[in-house]
Amino acid sequence: MYSFPDNLYSDVRVEDVSKSDIVVSLGRTDNMKEQKYVAAFVRVFDGERWYYSSTTNLDSIQEELDRLASLAKENSNIEENSIVRKFEVNKGSYLSYKEGEDFSLVSLREKFDLLSSYFPLIGKSELVKFWRGQYIDQRVVKSFFSSKGADLTFDYQRVGFRLLYQMVCGEDQFMDRFDLAGNKLDEIRGLHEEVRRTIKTSEDFIRHAKPITPGKYPVVLSPEAAGVFAHESFGHKSEADFMLGDRTMMEEWKIGRKVGSEILSIIDDGNKPGVGHVVFDDEGTKAVETHLIKDGYLSGRLHSAETAAALEEELTGNARAVNFEYEPVVRMTTTFISPGELSFEELLSGIKDGVFVDSLNHGSGMSTFTLAPNRAYLIREGKITEPVKISVVTGSVFQTLNEIEGLTEDFKLLSFSLGGCGKMEQFPLPVGFGGPFVRVRSLNIH
Amino acid sequence: MTEEKLVVHYIENAVKIVQTRVSSLRKKDVLRTSVRLYDGKTMGVAGSLGECDEKELNTRAKRSLELGIPYPSEATKDLEREEYVQSDLQNSAELLEATEEILERLRIDQPEFSFSHIFRSSKIESQLRNNLGLNLKSSRESVSLSLVIKDKKSSNIIDAMTGYEGRKFQKKRFIELTNMICDAYKNQLEGIEEGEYPVVFMSDDITYYKKLYESLNGMLFATGGSLLSGKTDMKVFSEKVTLLQTRNVMDGFNEPFFDSEGTVNDADRFALIENGVVRSPYTDKKTASTYSLPLTGSAGGEFDGLPELGTPMLKFSESEETIKQLLGGQKGIFVLIASGGDFTQDGHFATPAQLAFLFDGERFIGRLPEISISSHLYDMFGKDFRGVSSNDFLGLENAKLTVMNMKVEKL
Repeated sequence: MYSFPDNLYSDVRVEDVSKSDIVVSLGRTDNMKEQKYVAAFVRVFDGERWYYSSTTNLDSIQEELDRLASLAKENSNIEENSIVRKFEVNKGSYLSYKEGEDFSLVSLREKFDLLSSYFPLIGKSELVKFWRGQYIDQRVVKSFFSSKGADLTFDYQRVGFRLLYQMVCGEDQFMDRFDLAGNKLDEIRGLHEEVRRTIKTSEDFIRHAKPITPGKYPVVLSPEAAGVFAHESFGHKSEADFMLGDRTMMEEWKIGRKVGSEILSIIDDGNKPGVGHVVFDDEGTKAVETHLIKDGYLSGRLHSAETAAALEEELTGNARAVNFEYEPVVRMTTTFISPGELSFEELLSGIKDGVFVDSLNHGSGMSTFTLAPNRAYLIREGKITEPVKISVVTGSVFQTLNEIEGLTEDFKLLSFSLGGCGKMEQFPLPVGFGGPFVRVRSLNIH
Repeated sequence: MTEEKLVVHYIENAVKIVQTRVSSLRKKDVLRTSVRLYDGKTMGVAGSLGECDEKELNTRAKRSLELGIPYPSEATKDLEREEYVQSDLQNSAELLEATEEILERLRIDQPEFSFSHIFRSSKIESQLRNNLGLNLKSSRESVSLSLVIKDKKSSNIIDAMTGYEGRKFQKKRFIELTNMICDAYKNQLEGIEEGEYPVVFMSDDITYYKKLYESLNGMLFATGGSLLSGKTDMKVFSEKVTLLQTRNVMDGFNEPFFDSEGTVNDADRFALIENGVVRSPYTDKKTASTYSLPLTGSAGGEFDGLPELGTPMLKFSESEETIKQLLGGQKGIFVLIASGGDFTQDGHFATPAQLAFLFDGERFIGRLPEISISSHLYDMFGKDFRGVSSNDFLGLENAKLTVMNMKVEKL
């Protein structure tokens, strides 16, 4: 194995990656490929600074360790450093997927046939002028070794497909999609009825959608919209690296502070199935369930070893890197709002004029968060009625967290095949999200 | 059989910054190689990371060819060009020293703020060659300084941002920009009257023109799914709007001058909209030949896959007026952060502006409360388009400004 330099902390993450990608546009195959590679990320820490190197040359790992060590300052007390003390030392092989579930062993042709089985459903719609089907899968076996003695192997895998289509109806245009991902190939088989329903919903939408009158409305969020809201509006603020060395943030984000409605709980958990399923993070820490908000009160946050040490809190297993080219930073895994007790009908009842946000193009979450809906509908007298075109839904994060006034029992975790979470330079990182249907007292609609 | 080889070598030195101190140093060295085999009807591709065995790549490319993936286009042939563009600060020790100097200055000048993120120097070396006389080599270096600004008294994750990317290390101007942003941030202004104002964006801020990326996608355009479908050679926008697809290094494009199919344009640019007239969507070879469109050289795709229609860099041509002239004596609203807004399918645009400054064409006067800005694609680039500044903001590289009249409301 590696000869770790003395008087420094160091670790090596080796990623053995298998990926497939198939793209078909309007029935024409544009791409069908497999990719396999092994590459590594090396870290050295001297108690003051980190030194990183990413390399595609596995033979150079020892050389890189030595080179980084030569840049660092020797520290004979490194083992007493609070960050170094935090690192877990896990050993052994923790493979989550059996050989029969390893889709890197399935032929490209079989994957192509699976994707193609959905194409006739799109072709049947006379409104579809352009479509693209894409299948992706990725399996990564990671090996993690550290100077503290970690010697760990674990795996990550995801598979999914997206059917993207552009509809035209008179002067109106509408781009919509069916997108689903999971951890095993069987999860994306036999979804023809769901695809058919989505296309029918898109047809109804383009035929009937009208511009909305801008203003403030009570809003019901679908599990997809609620999940994105939780991720963007609160999840990022729970990433503890934003608090490092910042007294105001530490004071403002004290555990136990009331931050939302008493029916609101938000959780992040890398053990949940889906594209955010990462049982160990990229520092070799085991994932745990973390309550970010419990019954409206701030109850936890997401950590790397560095942030957990700085804030004197426990590790959560959220140090993730987008790939071998990057260092792990604090990221979410699967983040969701816990379900409530209402039925969907009960949630809608009492809304005279409101908006139901069904699906999204994207969302963002600074002090003002945004949701850019793809499909949205008016709610009149407690019933979902006609589709409406909306550019953006906005609200103040904390005001909105406090204005959550209803949650359904019905609850969904979602995983998508393409896109992902972006943080600074690292994009796209697969994350899962979800929740129940959520009613918010008032949001700005434009 | 055409045999083609693509090699992309990415080298980067980065200094990461947390709370106005250097937290880490990072080096990247990533080599990607792929081999393509094509016969005018189909293509096979195989790729590898790191040092590769070319014979093995050839064998895998032959196996990929058997999949019969259609690629009914000819290879680019009989074309040779080499280009080497250098930048300052490629040496990691110099980059670290420069970073320390800037951070020291900012700690003194702006003690009420903390600064985090990354300073980076990078080099992308690319070569595409085939057995038909194609041999293109590009080596482009760049420097990027990017900081997230946090008011120490604020509970936000991000309060402002500063940065630029180019070939020169412009330390003095970068500090001047950062100080200007911080000083203006501290000067919280009263709200402004709702109404129409000249709104100013950094010209390369995709927020205000992302609809054009969708509308000028060759496949959407040709199949009737774009707002601009059927409008070739029609004057749709203001005379002042010329939109270029660019791979020209002078436009701040740091990837190679050729696209993934080896297409090279005159001056490394192609006008998609010229003086308001729609000339062409962006295309690769397949899209151009399938729909009888001009080939604009917009092939992308991953290094080890078939070339496919990519998303090019788009750039608005500058006017002959400075930013001050474009504002015409009025105060403008400079949008520094507008996150999360979007266009509807029919072209309506709305976004919150989380950070906007009142701007006189030279300096930021002060920070406005959060506002909402809105318009429509045809208005923004039609009657309400004032133009793109002839000058770079504060003399920083690639820092042109775009001005449009837009509706501004309180959030």
